[in-house]
Amino acid sequence: MTTSAILQAINGTSLAALLFLVASGFTVTFGLMRVVNMAYGAYYLLGGYVGLSIARATGSFTLAIVGGGAAVVLLGYLIDRFLIRYTGENHLAQVLLTVGVAFVVGDVALKIWGGDSLKVPVPAFLRGAMELPGGLVYPTYRFVLILFSLFVAGALWLLYRKTQIGAVVRAGVDDREQVGATGINVDRLFVMVSALASFLAGMAGVVGGAFLTLYPGAEWEILIVALVVVIVGGLGSLEGAMIGALVVGLLDAYGRWLLPEFSYFVLFGPMAVLLLFRPRGIFGKEA
Amino acid sequence: MTAARAAAVVGVVVALALLPQVAGPFWMGLATQMIVFGLLALSVDLLLGHAGLFSICHGSFFAVAAYTTAILQVRYAVPTALAAPAGLLAGTLLGLLFGLAVRTRGVYFILITIAFGYVVWGVAHRWSSFTGGDNGVTNVPFPAVGGLRVESDTDYYYLVLLVVALCALGYRVLVRSPFGLTLRGIKGSESRMRSLGYDSNRHLYAAFVLSAALASLAGVLYVYYNRFVNPVAASFPVSVEAALMAILGGTGTIAGPFIGSAIILGLRNWVSSFFELYATVMGLVFIVTVLWAPGGLVGLAARLRRRAARP
Repeated sequence: MTTSAILQAINGTSLAALLFLVASGFTVTFGLMRVVNMAYGAYYLLGGYVGLSIARATGSFTLAIVGGGAAVVLLGYLIDRFLIRYTGENHLAQVLLTVGVAFVVGDVALKIWGGDSLKVPVPAFLRGAMELPGGLVYPTYRFVLILFSLFVAGALWLLYRKTQIGAVVRAGVDDREQVGATGINVDRLFVMVSALASFLAGMAGVVGGAFLTLYPGAEWEILIVALVVVIVGGLGSLEGAMIGALVVGLLDAYGRWLLPEFSYFVLFGPMAVLLLFRPRGIFGKEA
Repeated sequence: MTAARAAAVVGVVVALALLPQVAGPFWMGLATQMIVFGLLALSVDLLLGHAGLFSICHGSFFAVAAYTTAILQVRYAVPTALAAPAGLLAGTLLGLLFGLAVRTRGVYFILITIAFGYVVWGVAHRWSSFTGGDNGVTNVPFPAVGGLRVESDTDYYYLVLLVVALCALGYRVLVRSPFGLTLRGIKGSESRMRSLGYDSNRHLYAAFVLSAALASLAGVLYVYYNRFVNPVAASFPVSVEAALMAILGGTGTIAGPFIGSAIILGLRNWVSSFFELYATVMGLVFIVTVLWAPGGLVGLAARLRRRAARP
């Protein structure tokens, strides 16, 4: 019992690690540009599939991560530049538009990669299991994923809180017009932030595809859970995405273990209660 | 209502009533489906077009109503006279719960309704001992109340047509009532309505529950048409497509959601008969609608008429 409980805690943390990679991009692009991009799930899936093909062709997991991320950066740029930009600040239009994009991406991916669950191959040293103190055995890959995400989260936090670019982005989140008035090109800033967010989502697809597998429909599952992360943490807050990912990852792991048929309740119920008291999430600011 | 408009409405009703004389069973099935999903789109539009709230969880009410009716009819042999109202009630009760989302606005409302919708899908999908999992509930019989029973798809088409026509009339009365006008006021400027003393949250909550009831009715009509229900009914695409139907046809109107439903279902049927990537085509419809026809076809027609009327 205790062993399972500890294993579920690690499971939840490894899911949280993955969720953070998807949710951080979503939340910061929303914060900066007030853009709701429902295609992030499709970005995740596409990045995973491209990475899969690269990994199969070259045998390199690193190349797969970089290639999957880069492919999504390109797609994300085109979608920002030629579609989303024409929606202004109309969230309704953005949601419908990006849902349409996600349908197209998902369908084309189905045509190319087929409907079976596919697993991104991981390098030999990440396969197998490792022994943890106390005699627990746990897959090495997931453990490394947690460390990797901690590293990414740390780097993002430093970039966001401690550098000049981060300061400009934070200022942009608070008041875009003011930042523009000081002579900073907010549009170019957004292209950079959006590219980073797309890269993270594509990369998440590769690292996630190595243990959750890739299949049609995975784009929506990951997106919805990432949305909960963002709602719980507060839209536009990087720290919120970190805390939210951890809360949601753990709830999901324990929910699946203790109440498998109602695990969605376990996940969404606390979210609903939280929203009754804090409609803008833990770290969200009043608009 | 002008004479021309009244004539158009009468013409459409007569055409729909005569449709079974010329159309075969496939087309009758498709027409029934268009009307049922049009009602679902209309329920979404009560919030979207009149109250300014964009909900993406109406597939939940639709599906809960459909499941309740199906499970009662199939597994417990409950007669239609009880099973259908029970479905309506179950969906509406869920609306009372999900209606709490009206505490939020804008993008938060959209995201929360998406999350709510997923709970229902997840339960339908995973609680297989009760919902039948991915196979769902099959073999739903035609409805029968007392001595009256539906015996063919054509009979059922007439029943759906009658129920939906009554709904459309009721809807018309509702949106023109003081309540409907208050909703429009909130959509236009919530702060102004509040300063006039209207409790906007309470009005939006009432609208949400009414809209859930309408979606539940569509769900009940759907399950007797489809003869089975599975988790697809609760899925995100159903909810978001219902919104798209309303927007494509024209929000804030009664005809719009039905026109949108007819176009989208017609298009899907046509495209999927010869083209494998029909989900891509649906995605493109989303994109094209948002970028080029945000006012919908009804809005487009009104714009053309205005342009023609200009000297």
